[in-house]
Amino acid sequence: MADKEATVYIIDVGETMADCHNGRMESDLDFSMRYVWDKISTTVAAGRKTWTVGVIGTGTDETNNPPHDEGLAGYGNISILQEITAISMASVRELRNKIRPSSTSGGDAISAIVVASNMIELFTKKLKYKRRIFLVTNADFPVDDSEESLDDVATRLNELGIELVVIGVDFDDPDYGYKEEDKPQIKAHNEATLQNLVSKCNNAVYGTMAQAVEELSIPRIKSVRPFKAYDGDLTLGDAEKYENALSIHVERYFKTKRAAPPSGSMVVNRSEFGGPSQLTQDDDVEMGGTGLSAVQQMRNYKVNDPDAPGGKRDVEFSDLAKGYQYGRTVVPFSESDFPIIKLETKKQFTIVGFVPFSSYDPFLNMGEVGIVAAQRQNDESELALSALIRALHELESFAVARYVQKDGAQPQLFLLKPNPGIEDPFECLYDVPLPFAEDVRTYQFPPLDKVLTLTGHILTEHRLLPTADLNKAMSDYVDAMDLSKLGADDEGNPTEYAPIDESYNPIIHRLNQAIRARAVHPDEPIGPPAGILLRFSKPPEKLLDDAKSEIRALIDAAEVKKVPAKAKGKRSKKDTVKPLSGLDIDALLGQGRRTTISKENAIPEFKQALATASDDSTIESAVKQMGEIIKKLIQESFADLQYARAAENLRVMREELINLEMPALYNKFLTSLKSSILSGALDGDRREMWFKHIIGGRLSLITSDESDVSGVMAEVVTEFAK
Amino acid sequence: MAWGGDEERRSEEEQDEELDETDYKTQKDAVLFAIDVSNSMLEPPPASSEKRADRDTAVKAALKCAYQIMQQRIIAQPKDMMGILLFGTERSKFRDEPGSRSSTGYPHCYLLTDLDVPAAEDVKKLKELVEEDGEDLEEILVPSTEPALMSNVLFCANQVFTTNAANFGSRRLFIITDDDSPHGSDKTAKSSAAVRAKDLYDLGVVIELFPISRGGKKFDVSKFYDDIIYRDPASEAGASDEVKASKSGDGLTLLNSLISNINSKQTPKRAYFSNLGFELAPGLTISVNGYMPLHRQTPARTCYVWLDGETAQLAQSETSKIDESARTVEKSETRKAYKFGGEYIYFNPEEASELKKMGGKGLRIIGFKPRSMLPMWASVKKSTFIFPSEQDYVGSTRVFSALWQKLLKDKKMGLAWFIARENANPLLVAVLPSQNPDDTHFLPAGLWLFPLPFADDVRSVDLDGGPRSSDDLTDGMREVVKLLQLPKGFYNPAKYPNPSLQWHYRIVQAMALEEDIPEHPEDATIPKYRQMDKRVGEYLGGWKAELAVKAKGLMHSKALKRELDADDERPAKRPKAATATKTPSGSMNNAQLKIAIEQDTLKKLTVAELKEILASKGISTTGKKADLLEKLEQWVEENV
Repeated sequence: MADKEATVYIIDVGETMADCHNGRMESDLDFSMRYVWDKISTTVAAGRKTWTVGVIGTGTDETNNPPHDEGLAGYGNISILQEITAISMASVRELRNKIRPSSTSGGDAISAIVVASNMIELFTKKLKYKRRIFLVTNADFPVDDSEESLDDVATRLNELGIELVVIGVDFDDPDYGYKEEDKPQIKAHNEATLQNLVSKCNNAVYGTMAQAVEELSIPRIKSVRPFKAYDGDLTLGDAEKYENALSIHVERYFKTKRAAPPSGSMVVNRSEFGGPSQLTQDDDVEMGGTGLSAVQQMRNYKVNDPDAPGGKRDVEFSDLAKGYQYGRTVVPFSESDFPIIKLETKKQFTIVGFVPFSSYDPFLNMGEVGIVAAQRQNDESELALSALIRALHELESFAVARYVQKDGAQPQLFLLKPNPGIEDPFECLYDVPLPFAEDVRTYQFPPLDKVLTLTGHILTEHRLLPTADLNKAMSDYVDAMDLSKLGADDEGNPTEYAPIDESYNPIIHRLNQAIRARAVHPDEPIGPPAGILLRFSKPPEKLLDDAKSEIRALIDAAEVKKVPAKAKGKRSKKDTVKPLSGLDIDALLGQGRRTTISKENAIPEFKQALATASDDSTIESAVKQMGEIIKKLIQESFADLQYARAAENLRVMREELINLEMPALYNKFLTSLKSSILSGALDGDRREMWFKHIIGGRLSLITSDESDVSGVMAEVVTEFAK
Repeated sequence: MAWGGDEERRSEEEQDEELDETDYKTQKDAVLFAIDVSNSMLEPPPASSEKRADRDTAVKAALKCAYQIMQQRIIAQPKDMMGILLFGTERSKFRDEPGSRSSTGYPHCYLLTDLDVPAAEDVKKLKELVEEDGEDLEEILVPSTEPALMSNVLFCANQVFTTNAANFGSRRLFIITDDDSPHGSDKTAKSSAAVRAKDLYDLGVVIELFPISRGGKKFDVSKFYDDIIYRDPASEAGASDEVKASKSGDGLTLLNSLISNINSKQTPKRAYFSNLGFELAPGLTISVNGYMPLHRQTPARTCYVWLDGETAQLAQSETSKIDESARTVEKSETRKAYKFGGEYIYFNPEEASELKKMGGKGLRIIGFKPRSMLPMWASVKKSTFIFPSEQDYVGSTRVFSALWQKLLKDKKMGLAWFIARENANPLLVAVLPSQNPDDTHFLPAGLWLFPLPFADDVRSVDLDGGPRSSDDLTDGMREVVKLLQLPKGFYNPAKYPNPSLQWHYRIVQAMALEEDIPEHPEDATIPKYRQMDKRVGEYLGGWKAELAVKAKGLMHSKALKRELDADDERPAKRPKAATATKTPSGSMNNAQLKIAIEQDTLKKLTVAELKEILASKGISTTGKKADLLEKLEQWVEENV
């Protein structure tokens, strides 16, 4: 939210914070800083000037704070590491150097809270702020435990409206279920003191670090203020023309809106800084981003020109007009023409008609959902919308409505769904966008529950249809894998597993976590995604365990067989293709069997020659002829006119020779073609053919990955493409 | 398969955005209409006094159909090609270009529109042909005395495809004819046609037959066309692919019948992904193909035009990446950087791609839920249709069918983890079955991957429960809902062309063809107001009167309650001096706001208070105090 914030972190850097405790491999300070850095970097990431942060160290070797300067006792070894300010990456770098374990054990945490509250009071004055103090410590050093001063501090915090969050390393927390064994007495006493302070505050939290760190991996969702997309009438009928038309004043907000991952930009090392080598492992400096600059896009415009070399020439951007394409015709539009092309519309939300629930399938939804409610405090509209919602609900009907967000916007059609407020405390309509005529592609698919033969018979038993056994096994399996009661709510009652509010966008949060980590620790490699992000990528283990026998039965009934990779897409020579009638075309061709290949009908003739070839020399001859045709097409091509055709011939040659397991023939031809093209032997500059159509079209050498008998390795191809 | 290099190329274009429609479009489509011009095809339909009776000859209907489809394709498939070849004509015409086979090569074949992305002139020419019965048409549409050899027609089509659409992923020849036996018992002619058809098959051209039957005579494909037509062995197993004859009658003109038959095959079936592994359970994987039967069509973007030449020409743009000093940058030099705290945080290319990895592509079932657990607001983007493929796993179809039947029968849905292709962002999807098509369900039967919103995508909108309708108001509204059902009781998208899109192309077409700009757009999305008023107007009027009474009563009781509350609270409140403006501002109601504006006391509010009010109205709260005041005043003016 846009509220202003002032937060002070008090970090215990006393010498014992450098020790590792309770089996952890990292020091108490590093452990605590995981939490603090995450908090601070989240603030940095938000990039808000009004979210301000200050940092105080306790147990520091030096002392630097106003009360101490004024000569007050009890403020030793407390240092303000950063005054309250909008925090930037530069401050993060500075802080990273300052926050190191000291060689002191001192610094009273309670005094530090006083320093922090003074800072906040001074900074925020009486303005509207969210004020917070975080204290992280392992509480190894005695604190001022007098009831009197605790009362004073608590009163002050309450007066100033400051929230206090105390997170301690290995603090006991029965709620979380943690208790430190053999706790030093001093620590136990300090914990009790801090807990006492927290209990005196109006707004305070007390917790243990382990829990705080654990919760870091739970993604935080950026909350967005509801956006009002429409404020106006929802009408039934034309209120301007017909007095009996109904107008309901409504407001429409977005209910769902796809959140986008942070958008990155391409950067490159500044050229004057030299090659990339300069900017690798050195720490800190390149974090300033000084060596990087944004990559820019430059556009060049070309038009066809028969007289220019290569058939194209550059034109200046300033010489170009704007326009639209109509098929392959370009239609220039002058500035004054542009308004005409926009459909004139008036802001409107009006009902077109109603349809029953049963006629609508959710997969017709075209996108994001809106929520429509009556204008607040408008009794007539509230009543009218409520009546509409209830009537729709009772009749199990949806409304279809035409929606124009504002004057001039494109009309949309919405489906309005009634939410009668049975589960929610409010009634509303949800709207989803519907497809227009142009948005639906009619694809035809065969039926799934029967097989139609070519002769028009309907079969209900067929290898493509499930047997009764398979149907039963599938049904049992689906029932066994039920998720509807697998989750648990706070009280442990069974609830839906993987509800929407627990599923986080893996890409967004993975990226955010990585960016924050990289900001704080620029030299560390990126870690794996947090487990919580991949939680729903697999069925829950427990469910699989319980459904073991159903899974077994399903696999047995299904009898699915994987097609070996080699056999895919291959036709044996015997398996000739026939038309519907089954006529044997090869027999028709008979003696007139094709052995010479013409340029006009090259692909069919080439394929047929190979299909009927009985020896390698026939194949070689066909490949040779095809090769000549390809070269000729390139040679005779005016600019790039025949490149596509040459490339298609080449593609067919490549595919056929992979199938015949004779990749060497292709590789040999391609090598000779390359030298012909690049040497300019094919009448001019034909490099576009090579780079765009052959390399770009993936028609390079056949590698051993594609054909076992090819001796060409992938690396060779990379080199060959250059 | 013959999809060409385009499909392979897509992985290179690693765009930041989710790979979606853009690459899906790279599989281009070319369609050549071959229309039979014979005496019977030119025979006018029997005279009829009926208003909707056929007036078109079969040839005319076919041309009109082609005209309509050409216009449709310009909008929906702007990069795809189309051509029209007439056969059996007295005159012959191929191309005039030198070097190609002269027209004598294909006697009685008349290439009316060469295969290409249609140009405005092509549309215009076709329009004149079908609308004006011009002399041109009279001259062209003269049947030859001897019929065209089908082998010639097919080879002519072969050449058209070979030269103009060499590497298109989808190439199809649409044959429209009423003659099921063009060569009778002439074996030689039949054989050479069969050989040419095999050539087309080897070339990768699919022949679709659109027979016209009339006078109850059945079009018998076994006489000739069964030797011509092939079925792709890789197409969906069990596909019926039945050939439907178009005919006039049953209230349907030949044109409509033809359009509906051709439209059903018009869009090439392009797979969004092929042979994706669908893991139903550990140890049980089948393969599926994915399709996008729904896709929002938008007007094409503006382009740049070069006007200095003889004709307006499209300027093709090439982009290159440069750095500050205008040096061209290689991809390997770049890094992915993110703004963070005013600086760049960067990842090298390997790390950037590592960050996108969330397991390989695939579709994996997590479990099942009752369909009722899908919240009605849970929608973020269009769904993907999947259908089984036997290519990688034999038996996929029957397993898929069993799952489909179970989900339909028990109203369940699957929950699945879905990554459409390498590098695509993972999604959680609901797997929903669609039933067999019927009167109100027009989508194919199969399974749909319905993308579920993540928690990140859901906005929390706080609404308070206002007053609820009384039973009699609700009952009254029920009548209205019952009376205003859409035709046939379902939403039929075919009835609602996108008005903005149609208008856009209508204008571009008019400018391209130098026609008059139409004055009024056709907009089928505008409700039928007059009909509505006729049907429910009077009733609704009565209902509104009742509503007004109810609302007034409500206001009354509310006011009373407020008074009582105020009485209770009075002692705690501040002295009178604090006027309306000093009430807790967030809850300041519209009337109070209006008063505040009239009395010009709004500016006494603090910035924080103003923001609170604005926020409660859903207005942006950015800007200085003066801006905030202005925004609020404007809102009150417009809404109160």
